[in-house]
Amino acid sequence: MKRPGPLLTLLAGLVLGLFLLTLNATTGTRTASSSYEESPSPAPVRSTASEAAPSRSASPSPVPAADADYAGRTDDDAAAIAVSVQDGRAVAYYCDGRTEESWLKGDVEDDGTLRLTGEHGARLDGTLDDGRRVEGTVTVGGGRHAFSADRAKKPSGLWRATATVRSAKIDGGWIVLRDGTQVGILTRDGKASPAPRIDPSTGTVTVDGQQLTARPATP
Amino acid sequence: MTVDPNAATQNFPGPEPVRHGPGPARYLVPALVAAAVAVALGAYGKVHDPAGTAFNLAGFSSTGAVKSWLATAAMLFALVQLVSAAMLYGRLPGPAWSGTLHRWSGRAAFLTAVPVAVHCLYALGYQTYETRVVWHSLLGCFFFGAFSAKMLLLRSERLPGWLLPIVGGLVLAVLTIIWLTSALWFFRTFGVTT
Repeated sequence: MKRPGPLLTLLAGLVLGLFLLTLNATTGTRTASSSYEESPSPAPVRSTASEAAPSRSASPSPVPAADADYAGRTDDDAAAIAVSVQDGRAVAYYCDGRTEESWLKGDVEDDGTLRLTGEHGARLDGTLDDGRRVEGTVTVGGGRHAFSADRAKKPSGLWRATATVRSAKIDGGWIVLRDGTQVGILTRDGKASPAPRIDPSTGTVTVDGQQLTARPATP
Repeated sequence: MTVDPNAATQNFPGPEPVRHGPGPARYLVPALVAAAVAVALGAYGKVHDPAGTAFNLAGFSSTGAVKSWLATAAMLFALVQLVSAAMLYGRLPGPAWSGTLHRWSGRAAFLTAVPVAVHCLYALGYQTYETRVVWHSLLGCFFFGAFSAKMLLLRSERLPGWLLPIVGGLVLAVLTIIWLTSALWFFRTFGVTT
């Protein structure tokens, strides 16, 4: 053979690349499945999402049947709504995909009643029906809507990403419905606009050229 | 059979020169391999769902910082490549070991670039949402193709004297644009952080 050097160089690069890829793939599946606690922030983004959405893997729940995500639409089809229940607490997100959104929080009573409140007088009254769906009414921005949200299986459910991109505070919320439809709003420094699609398998979303990672929202 | 006097010398010459006809295979094989590498990387980046995250190195604030510093290291090695190549071709006065310098700085540049590319392809994928990103994605794939071609061309004998400098210069130019559209952009956007 003549001059094996260049070939060896190429092979070394190939081997190194494959090795790193395997390393990534093996650690990657672990991150994707549940805990996001390890600190390396995703992509070149100084994400604050880890503080905003604490890991959902922790703490076994006393009422496991009710701990779940619920997603659906209002009966008038004006907006989507998702509720995430965990450990007797609930967070709900109402979103019309354009300008109107609201995050609501509150406790879940022992009988399955939810009374959640959000900013600007938003409120949600609902009942947790056997852990299968949440039904009730939500009042946001002066409008009152009846809704029913069925239990959602990942990746459908409620997602949230908060970060700072080029000194603008970004807050995004997404409801991924069972059929894969996404309804989301992205707020940049308080201004709401329709959100770009997230990749429901990973939560990855590109905002203003920056890659963020949305996390499942938890109470 | 004579060895290309311009090419970097190797300490152990091939035991017996294989007689290749001056056929087109000498150029065709590297060109095809280059195309295959570039297309394969691009296709992987496009088809594979970006993971958004990958492992980080201790001591760095983000994977972006790690990549930017690795890319900068690769860029510095690439500049050594330029200087040492000029020495080999007699355009600059150089020591006797400039050939060794050229080979090893090239390997170092390539091997520092590989982890960066792996992270790009694994975590971010082939993206087109901005002009900067389009060029970066496109040239990133092109770079590894062109580099493979350069490596394979080195193995051929009796190449036209202008070919290696052209291909080498192309590889360097592409790497420079890749660096400008990523690491420099990162440092300007986020500051020179570790």
